Amino acid sequence: MSEAAMKIINLKKSIGKKEIIKGLDFEIHKGEVFGFIGPNGAGKTTTIRMMVGLMKITDGDVHILGKSIKQDYKEAIKEVGAIVENPEMYPFMTGMQNLKHFARMIPGVTMENIKEVVSLVNLEKAIHDKVGKYSLGMRQRLGIAQALLHHPSVLILDEPTNGLDPAGIREIRHYVRRLATEKNVAVIISSHLLSEVELMCDRIGIIKNGELIAIQSVNDNEQMEPEAITVQLEVRPANKAIELLKTNHQIDATLTRGLVTLQIGREQIPNIIKTFVEHDVSVYQVEIPKSTLEDKFFDVIGESVNG
Amino acid sequence: MGNLFKLTYNEIFKIYIQKSTWAMYILLAILLIGLGILSNTMGDYTDYTEENWRTELQAENEKLTEEMEQDEFMQGYNSSVIAKNNYYLENDIQPVGYGAWQFVMENQLFLSIVSLFTIVVAGGIIANEFRWGTIKLLLIRPISRSKILLSKFIAVLLFALVTLVFVIVLSFIIGALFFGIEGLNPSIVIEGANGLEYVSVLGQVASGYGFKLINLVMMATFAFMISSIFRNSALAIGLAVFLMMAGSSIVSFFADKEWAKYILFANTDLSQYANGAEPWIEGMSLSFSVTMLIIYFIVFVVAAWSVFTKRDVAGN
Ligand SMILES: Nc1ncnc2c1ncn2[C@@H]1O[C@H](COP(=O)(O)OP(=O)(O)OP(=O)(O)O)[C@@H](O)[C@H]1O
Ligand SMILES: [Mg+2]
Repeated sequence: MSEAAMKIINLKKSIGKKEIIKGLDFEIHKGEVFGFIGPNGAGKTTTIRMMVGLMKITDGDVHILGKSIKQDYKEAIKEVGAIVENPEMYPFMTGMQNLKHFARMIPGVTMENIKEVVSLVNLEKAIHDKVGKYSLGMRQRLGIAQALLHHPSVLILDEPTNGLDPAGIREIRHYVRRLATEKNVAVIISSHLLSEVELMCDRIGIIKNGELIAIQSVNDNEQMEPEAITVQLEVRPANKAIELLKTNHQIDATLTRGLVTLQIGREQIPNIIKTFVEHDVSVYQVEIPKSTLEDKFFDVIGESVNG
Repeated sequence: MGNLFKLTYNEIFKIYIQKSTWAMYILLAILLIGLGILSNTMGDYTDYTEENWRTELQAENEKLTEEMEQDEFMQGYNSSVIAKNNYYLENDIQPVGYGAWQFVMENQLFLSIVSLFTIVVAGGIIANEFRWGTIKLLLIRPISRSKILLSKFIAVLLFALVTLVFVIVLSFIIGALFFGIEGLNPSIVIEGANGLEYVSVLGQVASGYGFKLINLVMMATFAFMISSIFRNSALAIGLAVFLMMAGSSIVSFFADKEWAKYILFANTDLSQYANGAEPWIEGMSLSFSVTMLIIYFIVFVVAAWSVFTKRDVAGN
């Protein structure tokens, strides 16, 4: 097990009489991408604000590389880069002026560091334009660049995919994976859409009403349920295929929206395809819908959206 | 402390990169140039020479007296000029002509505009960070909030200083171009607290601007405090400008009250104690006013600081 980059210990926040965060406990490891998922108002941003010292911690603590954000703020925050909520920068300044501005606030950031992050997020062309003219995707990228200036051990991104198109999301995924794998950075990504971040996360924590209700490893998911996965086949003729499945493999398959759907073990797939090929059934597509995590999420979230 | 220097540099950079700041300086320049042109065309400025200054002054007095008889409105102004002219004649002092130094001296009225602009900057310097959302990126650095606040306050004071120097230098240049320079350290006759006095213009510039700077700093600090507490630049600017304008009216409105002397604006004009003049309200003294000013200043700064350093930074 790798070392913990960030430790959240019984973290609580009350505003007035209302308890918004009700005791969170989890760890994020070096080189890991952690998805912090929950519906609107679950408390993601509040938790992140406490992690970076923007909000007072009512109870509990956050440790970054073993240093308490409460007791040892300066040392702890040195290891953190973050975007909290929107990637807001000074609109009347260029991307470069913004980066230099924030670089001056951290000891030891050089011009090389600035150039490095600019090229990492592919902003070389627009870096001397005013941020006011940037698209949301560009601002998001500049936000990430700003968060990486000082080579932090922990990168916190609050809803980085919000408002981005699929290409933009793919790009973010690309940076995030690279940082975790190549630079061993621990990344925390919050989102209210599991599907948007699922592909870049190693682990997912689900928060609802200020409580962490599930932590799940993304890859474990497949290993946990090996024997019966849903497979969808686009084959022609479909009727003949269903018959063959029944006679040759003793499997009951159904036809849904033109796709032959069946529950089988993963290892059976090659045999079935072999049968089809031998009997002149054309196979166009084999699909394994990756629905389990998403389903789990909605099981958990579904009720909370209403109440 | 290199840290604080960089932070202050950042704040100054953010002030001066905004177009609205440049608009302030352009406006100041236009007003100063306009005033120079106006004074140049309206007034007739004589150069007094060793031989002719006595006859010049006498001729001037005759002309002014004549004008006064025809136009009652000119009485006040003209008679004060005549009195000054007589002072020169009686004391046998050769007067200097009008020039850049006196133009600078008269332009101390521009300090009200400098105050206004400083209030605008002070009122926005914290509130704007909240409005832009950039406060979050500012506060997640290995720097204490106190230091960030201090750098912003220093930046406000530096802005005031730069703007003040701008007014003085530009006034001098415009004055020199239109009226010439009346010497290295000219002296003139003015109406002081104890009647007519022969004083150095430079001294007048220093004291005139200096006394007004106190009010500037107090109102800028006030706007800074409101900006920190309410995170609303319009409120901070509006309130500070209103108080700056209404300050003396507020004092005279409550003048008969026991506590009137504790009002900030009763104490911001320290020139009331200059030359041993009587203060506005009985029981006030220079040390009393200085103490009051220090107390107000500390209250403003501590209020701004405690809110800025303690409060949660959440969405607006
Ligand atoms: N200053 C505040 N005073 C009172 N309640 C607050 C305050 N800030 C947040 N809350 C409440 O705390 C809860 C969590 O808010 P938070 O912004 O952390 O949610 P979130 O998970 O980030 O949601 P979203 O997906 O909408 O960004 C919400 O119910 C909100 O109403
Ligand atoms: Mg949020």
